[in-house]
Amino acid sequence: MCDACGCQTHIHDHDHGHAHAHTHDEAVIVDVNRSLFAANDAMAKSNREHFDEENLVVLNLISSPGSGKTTLLEHTIDRLGGEIRIGVIEGDIETERDAERIRAKGVPAVQLTTGGACHLDASMIHRGFHRLQKEPGGDSLDLLVIENVGNLVCPATFDLGEHQRVVLVSVPEGSDKPAKYPKAFTSSQLFLITKTDLLPYFDFDVAEATREARHLNPGLEVMAFSATTGDGFEAWLDQLRNLVSQKKKP
Amino acid sequence: MHEISLVQGLLQQLHDLAAEHRTARVTKVTMVVGPLSGVVVESFQFGFDILTREDDLVRGAELEIVIPEVSYRCSGCGAVEKTAGQRPRKCSGCGDPILIAEQGMGGDVILQQVEMED
Repeated sequence: MCDACGCQTHIHDHDHGHAHAHTHDEAVIVDVNRSLFAANDAMAKSNREHFDEENLVVLNLISSPGSGKTTLLEHTIDRLGGEIRIGVIEGDIETERDAERIRAKGVPAVQLTTGGACHLDASMIHRGFHRLQKEPGGDSLDLLVIENVGNLVCPATFDLGEHQRVVLVSVPEGSDKPAKYPKAFTSSQLFLITKTDLLPYFDFDVAEATREARHLNPGLEVMAFSATTGDGFEAWLDQLRNLVSQKKKP
Repeated sequence: MHEISLVQGLLQQLHDLAAEHRTARVTKVTMVVGPLSGVVVESFQFGFDILTREDDLVRGAELEIVIPEVSYRCSGCGAVEKTAGQRPRKCSGCGDPILIAEQGMGGDVILQQVEMED
């Protein structure tokens, strides 16, 4: 049974049998060699197995506050809501506001408030997903999008059990973000440059941002678009359609 | 400051170890903090200092942090550069900017050794 909520998930994240030595003054020295991420990674693995059993594609969106994660979701739901069943887990430090914005689009959404913590972790997602499944429509989804706490640093360190990690940088933030916050880019599979309708007003070099990100992670896929004007947005929607249809194949 | 939650996880492990070995005090903790782990050593030390102050088992324990080297392989000429410091911006041999990090312990944070007393 899992400790988080009593469901029938088995978590194996403990290894026993440490080497240890007793010295003459009763000091005990134990060689542990255990990752501090081990507990989170074990829970993330169990989340991923759960998502796979449900044939669900799960994305983890990471960016600074204000990059347009929630707006991206609103426009995505407007465009794909009729063909793909989407659910959302929203992470914020406080307030239900983002989940309310998503529910207003008629999509099941759960808000996780971390109460100060700067990132979501796998056990929060485990509990959040159980809550989402109890929402109307939440038990039969094709795509689950997790919107992480707005922060380009801490969320990059915690696997949630997602299939793809998606990092966003909006044009007003500047094209130097990959070089400054490498972990978010080395750990992601997809890099979205958002608010491209603002390119005429900001000193943002799409080629430079792409180059810097690919220096860190040569396999990183890059897309640039404006969700508001729809320019370039179709590539993102096709990506989601492809991920969902691949998952449905036997 | 995700370092605070990592230190909380560490303290839980230390309490489990102390219970397992029936010890009353932790005197030294040795951690390996990989340069690509996303963990800032100063923030981790700060979190350890603050949280252990409130913890009878670990209060006053020494924290030793070991930073392992990471190997970076140049995608151009194949040369391997090892450093425990910042990720190199380019290959020092051929100047190619695409360096592949061989993760190993470099991306991890590991509780390596604990010293305790009865």
